[in-house]
Amino acid sequence: MTLPLAIILPFLGSLLPPLLIRRGRSITAAVALTVPLASLALLASHWPAVSRGEVPRWQMPWVPIIGLDLDVRLDGLAFLFGALVFGIGALIVLYARYYLSEEDSMGRFYSYLLLFMGAMAGLVLTGNLLLLVIFWELTSLSSFLLIGFWTHRADARDGARTSLIVTGLGGLALLGGVLIIGRIVGSYDISTVLASGDLIRGSSLYLPALLLVLLGAFTKSAQFPFHFWLPGAMAAPTPVSAYLHSAAMVKAGVFVLARLHPALSGTSEWFLLVSGAGLITLLLGAYTAMFQNDLKGLLAYSTISHLGLITLLLGIGTTQAVVAALFHVMNHVAFKASLFMAAGIIDHETGTRDLRTLNGLWRLMPYTSLLAIVSAAAMAGVPLFNGFLSKEMFFTEALSLSGAGVMQWLIPIGATLFGVFSAAYSIRLVYEVLFSGPGTDMPRVPHEPVRSMRIPVELLTLVCIAVGLFPNTIARPLLDVAAAAAAGAVIPAFHLSQWHGLNAPLLMSLTALAGGVVLFFMLRDRLAAYGAVVPVVSAKRVFDRVVAGTTAASVFVTRRFENGSLQRYTLFLVGISLLVGFGQAWKWGWPLGSETNLPADVPTATGTVVLVTCALATVALYRRRLIALIAISGVGAMTSLGFVRFGAPDLALTQLMVEVVATLLMLLALFHLPQVEPRDEPGSRLARDGVIALASGAGVAAIVWAVVSRPLDSISSYFITNAKPLGGGTNIVNVILVDFRGFDTMGEIAVIGTAALGIRMMLDSLEPRAPNVPAGFRMAARSLILSSVTRAMLPFALLMSVYLFLRGHNEPGGGFVAGLLTAIAIILQYLGGGMTWTLERVRRSPQPWIAWGVLMAVGAGVLGMLSGSWFLDLTFTHVHIPGIGEIELATATLFDLGVYVTVVAAVLLIITGVGALSPAPVSAQVEPGSDPWKI
Amino acid sequence: MENLMAVGIGTLVACGVFLILRARTFPVILGLTLLSYAVNLFLVSMGRLQGGAPPIVVEGTERYVDPLPQALVLTAIVIGFGMTAFIVVLSLGARFATGSDHVDGLPVLMGDHDSDSADGAVTPPGNQSGVVMNQASSPARDADGAEGEVR
Amino acid sequence: MNGAISHLPVLPVLVPFVSAFICLLLGAETRRAHRVTGIVATLVSLAVSVMLVMQAGAGDMMVYRAGAWPSPFGIMLVVDRLSSLMVLLTDVVALSAVLYAVRGGDSRGRFFHSFLQLQLAGVHGAFLTGDLFNLFVFFEILLIASYCLLMFGGGEGRARAGVHYVVLNLIGSALFLIAVGTLYGVTGALNMAHLSVRIAEMPAMDAAVVRAAGLLLLIVFALKAAVMPLYFWLPNAYANASAPVAALFAIMTKVGVYCILRVCTLMFGPLAGAGADVALPWLLPAAVATSAFGFVGALASRNLRTMIGYLLIASVGTMLAGFGLFSREGIGGALYYLLHSTVTYAALFLIADLVVRQRDDVGDTLVQGAPLHENGRISALFFIGAIASVGLPPLAGFTGKALILGAANFTAGGIWLWTVTLLGSLFAIVSLTRAGIIIFWNTSGTPAPSSTASGYRFMAPAGLVAVLAALVMFAGPISTYADRVADQLLTPGDYVSAVLRATD
Repeated sequence: MTLPLAIILPFLGSLLPPLLIRRGRSITAAVALTVPLASLALLASHWPAVSRGEVPRWQMPWVPIIGLDLDVRLDGLAFLFGALVFGIGALIVLYARYYLSEEDSMGRFYSYLLLFMGAMAGLVLTGNLLLLVIFWELTSLSSFLLIGFWTHRADARDGARTSLIVTGLGGLALLGGVLIIGRIVGSYDISTVLASGDLIRGSSLYLPALLLVLLGAFTKSAQFPFHFWLPGAMAAPTPVSAYLHSAAMVKAGVFVLARLHPALSGTSEWFLLVSGAGLITLLLGAYTAMFQNDLKGLLAYSTISHLGLITLLLGIGTTQAVVAALFHVMNHVAFKASLFMAAGIIDHETGTRDLRTLNGLWRLMPYTSLLAIVSAAAMAGVPLFNGFLSKEMFFTEALSLSGAGVMQWLIPIGATLFGVFSAAYSIRLVYEVLFSGPGTDMPRVPHEPVRSMRIPVELLTLVCIAVGLFPNTIARPLLDVAAAAAAGAVIPAFHLSQWHGLNAPLLMSLTALAGGVVLFFMLRDRLAAYGAVVPVVSAKRVFDRVVAGTTAASVFVTRRFENGSLQRYTLFLVGISLLVGFGQAWKWGWPLGSETNLPADVPTATGTVVLVTCALATVALYRRRLIALIAISGVGAMTSLGFVRFGAPDLALTQLMVEVVATLLMLLALFHLPQVEPRDEPGSRLARDGVIALASGAGVAAIVWAVVSRPLDSISSYFITNAKPLGGGTNIVNVILVDFRGFDTMGEIAVIGTAALGIRMMLDSLEPRAPNVPAGFRMAARSLILSSVTRAMLPFALLMSVYLFLRGHNEPGGGFVAGLLTAIAIILQYLGGGMTWTLERVRRSPQPWIAWGVLMAVGAGVLGMLSGSWFLDLTFTHVHIPGIGEIELATATLFDLGVYVTVVAAVLLIITGVGALSPAPVSAQVEPGSDPWKI
Repeated sequence: MENLMAVGIGTLVACGVFLILRARTFPVILGLTLLSYAVNLFLVSMGRLQGGAPPIVVEGTERYVDPLPQALVLTAIVIGFGMTAFIVVLSLGARFATGSDHVDGLPVLMGDHDSDSADGAVTPPGNQSGVVMNQASSPARDADGAEGEVR
Repeated sequence: MNGAISHLPVLPVLVPFVSAFICLLLGAETRRAHRVTGIVATLVSLAVSVMLVMQAGAGDMMVYRAGAWPSPFGIMLVVDRLSSLMVLLTDVVALSAVLYAVRGGDSRGRFFHSFLQLQLAGVHGAFLTGDLFNLFVFFEILLIASYCLLMFGGGEGRARAGVHYVVLNLIGSALFLIAVGTLYGVTGALNMAHLSVRIAEMPAMDAAVVRAAGLLLLIVFALKAAVMPLYFWLPNAYANASAPVAALFAIMTKVGVYCILRVCTLMFGPLAGAGADVALPWLLPAAVATSAFGFVGALASRNLRTMIGYLLIASVGTMLAGFGLFSREGIGGALYYLLHSTVTYAALFLIADLVVRQRDDVGDTLVQGAPLHENGRISALFFIGAIASVGLPPLAGFTGKALILGAANFTAGGIWLWTVTLLGSLFAIVSLTRAGIIIFWNTSGTPAPSSTASGYRFMAPAGLVAVLAALVMFAGPISTYADRVADQLLTPGDYVSAVLRATD
C-alpha cells in the first residue's frame, strides 16, 4: 500500500498550497517540501527488495473490460526515475520558495508543481501501459499550466500552447501505439508486454506500433524534428525549466524508450529510427546551443543534444549502451538541473540572462560561480566529473558498433563533433558569464543569493563530483538494477572508472575538449552574431505555419459546406433521401404486388385532375402570394373530398375545418409579408430544383404504387372487431383516437397546445413594422364574411359543434372536429366584428383552458390508474339522450372533452394572437403586438 | 384508382419539394403545407383503397376501410396544423427581426424594408455561416488565423 | 397490475407532462411557483429514473400497456437497460439546466418551465415508447418544445437560426410519416417489436420498399443527431439558444443517436432476414465523416459556443462510429462515451454562458477582452470541460475513446476511425487551447464593472463536472453496465418476446 501512496501523496498535496498560502509563503513551501520527501522515503523503503532484484507491486482493477488497472510496479528502472522525480522535485520546491517573487501566486505554483510531480511519478512507477498513457497526458497538461504560469507574457502563452500541442500530438500517438501493443499481446500489463517481445516484433502490426510509440517518445523528449517546443518552454519560471525541462518531463520520452526497450528493440527499424533521430538531435542541439545568447536558451539546446545522446544510445540497444544511457540520464539530471538553478540565481541577481550583457560575475558572486563552473565542466565532459564517465561510455559504444552500415561511421564522427560543440558552448557559458569583463553595467548589481537558494545547487554539484570520483560506490547499485530492468537481461560485469588506460575513447574526449577550446576562441566574437541563423527558429516557424494553415483550411472547408443557406441544407436533406430510396430500388429492384387495382371512376379522375391543377397553380403562381393562397386552399378542399371518396368522413371534416383556420392564419400573416416575391433566383437553380422535385414526386408515387399493390395483413382487424365491444363506440377511428391509441392523442393535443403557447411567446417579443397592404386586399379581408351573417351563425355553429362532439364516438365527429368548429365560429365573429367586439364576449384568456383541456385528458387516464388498471384504461357506460341517440358517458368522454377544450383554446389563442398584429379587422383600442389577454 | 392516387400524391410531393427549396419563407410554408396534404393522402392510401365501407360499425357489414391510418392521419393533421401555425408566426418574427423574409434572414441592403427586391442575393455571403455567426459582436469576423490572437 | 411500482415506466412521461401544464395554470406572474414546480418535477423524474435503472439493471424488462390494450395493438412503453439509462442521463442534464435557469435565465419570456418540462416529457417518451408512430408523436412534442425554447428570449440571431431549425425538422417529420406509413403499409404493424418480427419474416420481394423506408427513418434520426451532411442547422441553433436550453439540447442529439441504435438493433439487425443490416454500409462512414467535419468546424470557429457546437457534432460522430462497428465492444464503449460526452457538452454550454456574462464587451467571441470577474474559478471549470471534451485523461472521454478504438478492427473503416479520432483530438486540443488562452490568459484591462459574480449559477456546471468525475471514479462498474446494455441490444429476441408477451 506504500507504493500507490507515493503517487497519491503529490496529488493530494497539490490541493494544499492554495489553502495554506494565506498562512504565509514559508509554511506553504515547507508543506510542499514534505510531499516529495515523504514519497521519496516511501520509495526508499522498498530499496532493499529492489536491490535484490525483486519487483514490488500493487494492483487494483479499475476498468476491467479494457484491462486498465491501477497498477504500481517498482522495478529498478522505475526506482531510478522515481528517485529522480522526487529527489529533484524536493530541491526544486526548496529553490522555488526563494525564486518566486512576491507578486507570483506561490500557492498556484506549488499546486501545479505537485500535480506535475504526481503525474510524473505515476508515469514512471505504473505497471500498466494504458495507465502510463494517462499519466503521460497528465504531465503534458500540468506542464502546460506551469509553462503558462506567467499568463501575462505572450511568450509564456505561446510556449505553453506550442508544448501542449506538440506533446499532445505525441500523447495521442502513444495512445495509438499502446492500444496496438495491447491488441498484439492481449494485455496492457507491462510485465506481460516485456515478456512477449518476440510476439510483438513478429507481428504485422509491429511497425505501426513502433512508429506511434516513437512519435510519442520523440515529441516528449524533444527529438528532431519536434525539438522546437523546448526552447519555447523556457518562458516558464526557472524552477520549472530546471525540473520539467532538464530532469523530469523531457526524460519521460527516453523513459518510455527504456521501458519498452525489451519489447520493441532489436530490429533494424528500431536501430535506424531511434539512433538516427538521436544522432540528428545530438548534433543539432549541440551546434545550436553554441549560438544562443540567452543563458536558458543555451541550456535548453544543450538539453536537447544530451537527450539526443541518450536516445542514440538506446537506439544502439546493446546492454552496455543501455547502461550508458541510464548512467547519462542520472548525470545529466545532476549537472543540468544545477546549471539551470545557477542560471536562475544569476537571472535573479543581475536581472538579465543575455550572455552579451552578463560579465565578470566571478568577482561579484564567486561561490555561485564556482558551482556553475563545476556543473559546466561536468556538462562538457571534463575528466573527474560524472559527465565524463557517461560520455566515455558513449564514445566506447559509438566505436564498438558493428554491422551498422553507414551509421557505423556517422555515429563516431557525430559523437566527436558533439564533444567539440558541447565543450565549446560550456566554455562560452563559463567564460562570458563569469570572466569576460569587469562585472559592470548589468540591470542590477549582483551579489551572492540567500544561503537556502544555493543549497539545491550545492547538493547537485556535490553529486557531480562524488559520482565522478566514486562511481562504483554511489551510482553502481542503482544503475545495475535499472539497467537490468531496461535491458531485460542480466548486465555483464562492468567497471566504472575515470581511467581505462590510454584508449580510443579517451583520445576522442581529449580531441573533443581541445577542439572545443579552439572552436570557441576562433569563433568567440562571431558566436553572438550567429544567433539569428540557428535552424530551430525555422522549425518553430514551420510549426506556426502549419497551425495557421490548417486553421485557414478549416475555415475554408467549413464555409464551403456550411454557408448559412437553408436552401442548401434542404437540398442535402432531400438529396440524401432520394439517394437512399433510389439506391435501394436500384439494388433490390422494385417488384410490384399481385393485388388488382380498383377501376378508376370519373369523379375520382376529375377530382385528381383538379387537385393536380391546383397544386401546379400554386407552384406557378407562388410569387403572387394571395393568389397562391387561394390555389392551395383548392388543394386542401380536394384533399378532403378525396377523404370522403375513400371512406374517411372524419378526416374530411377535420381537414376542412383545419383548412379554414390555416387559410385564415396565412391571410393574416400575409398582412406582414411582402405581397409579391422578387425574381431573384437564377433559372439554372429553378431547373435543378424542378428535377429534384420531379424525382421526389416519382419516388413517393413509386412507394404508393408498390405498397398498394401488395396484400395487407394489418393489426387493424382487431380494432374493427373490438371497437364496439371493448371501446364502446361504433366510430372505429374515434375509438382508436380516444381509446386504443389515446396515448398518441394525449401527446398531440399537447403539441397543438404548446404550439399556441410558443406562438404567444413569440408574439410577445414582436414589434411589427407598418404592414404593406394594398387597399384592394384590405377590402378583401374585410369583405371575407359579413359581420351580421357571422353573428347570426354563431349559435347554430356552437350547437352543431356540441352535436358533433356528443355523437363523435359513434358517428363521424368527436373532440377535434367539434373543437375546430367552435373555434371557427368564434373566429368568424372576430373577423366580422373585429377584435374588440370578440374580446368583449370572450373575456378570459384561453391560455389556462389549454392546460385544463390537457389535464382533463390526462386525468381521464389517471382515473384508469386509480381504478387499479393501467394509465389511460378508459371505462364507459351508455346513456340514451332523445334526439341525439345512444351516447356514452365515460372517462372516454372526459378524454374527448379534454381534446375539445384544448383544440378550441389553442386555435383561439393562435388566431387572436396573430390577429392582434394585423391592422385590418382590428379596431384602434388594441395596439399591435400587445397581448389582448394580459391579465 | 390506385394509379390516380399515386399520381396525385406524387404531384403534391413534387410541388411541395419544389416550393420548400425556394428562398423566401412564404413559398417554403406553402411547400410544407402541400407536403402535409401529400403525407395525409399517402397514409390513407397505405391502408389500401379497396377497403369498402367507412369505419363506422354497422351490423352486417363485413369489409371496412382500414381505420388505423385514418386515426394516424387525424393526429398528423392536428399536429401539422400546430406546426404550420408556428412556422407562420416564426416567419413573421424573422421578418420583423431581420427586416427580410429571406429564409436566411438576410438584412435588407437598402433602407426601405418593404422593397423586397432589395432583400439581398439568393445565397447569403459566407459570413452568415456558423463559423463566424455570432450575435454578440463582429470583431471575430476579421480575426484570422490562430496565431495573431494568442499573442 | 400489482402495486404502484408497476406504474414506474409511465411516470417519466406523466410527471413532466402534467407539471408543464400545472405551470401554465400558475399564471405568468408567479415566477417563484413556476421555478419550484420545475425543480420538484425534475427531481421526481430523476428519482423515478434511478428506480427504473435499478429495475432494468437486473435485466428484466418492464412493459407498460398504455390503455391496458394487449400487445401489439395498444401502445407499449418498454423499459430495458438502454432506455432507462438514457432517461436517467436526460434527468441529470435537465436538473442542471433547470437549476441554472432559475437563476434568472427563465425570466426573459413566458412559459419557460412549461416548455422545459414538455421537452423532458417528449424526450422521455421517445426513449421509452415501443411504438413507431407514438415515437413520432413524442418527437413532435420534444420538437415543438425545443422550437419554443430555442426562440425563448427572441432576437435576430434566434429568429434566423429558428427558421432553419424548424423548417428542416418539419421536412424531417414529413419523411418520418412517409417511412412509418410505408412500414405499416407493407407489414401492417406499428409496434417496433411486432415490426421486427414482421420484417424478419417478410418475403424478399418486400426488401426494397422496407429497406428504403428503414433508411428514410434513419435519415430522420440522423437529422436529429446532427450527422454529416445533416448537421448544418446545429451550430447556429445551439450558439443562439440560451444557456440552459443549449445544455438541454445536448441530450436532443442523443435522442436521434438512441433511435438509430434502437432501430438498427431491433428492427434491422443482423437477424432481420431480407431487412438485415440496413445501416451497416452507411453508419460507420457517415459517423467518421461527421467527426471529421465537426473537428474541422471547431478549429474554424470564431466564437466559443459555435466551437462547442462543432465539438458536440464531432462527439456524436465518435459514438455513432462505435455503434457502427455493430459489435458488443463497440456499442458498449460508445454508450459509455455517450454518457460522458452528453454531460460534458451540457456543462460546456453552461460554462460558456458564465464566460459571456462576465465578458460583456466581446461576449464569447475569440478576441482579446477584459479579464473575467471570476477568471480563476471559471477558467478552472473550463479547463476541466476542455479536457473532457478532447477526451484527455483523467476524465472518461479518454477511456471511452480507448474503448471505441480498441473495438475497431483494422479494416478501411477502422483505420479511418482511428485516424480521425486521434487527429481530431489534436484539432480539438488546438481549438480549445486557443479559446482558453484568448479568453482567460490573453486579457487586457480590468474586469467590466457591470459583470457580476456568477453566484449560484456556478453550481450547475460545477455539479455536472462532479458527475464527470464520478464517471471516471466508477468507470469500472459503469463501463461494465454499458457492456451489458450492448449485450441486451444485440439479443433483440428478449425485447421482442417481452413486448409481445404483454397481452394480459
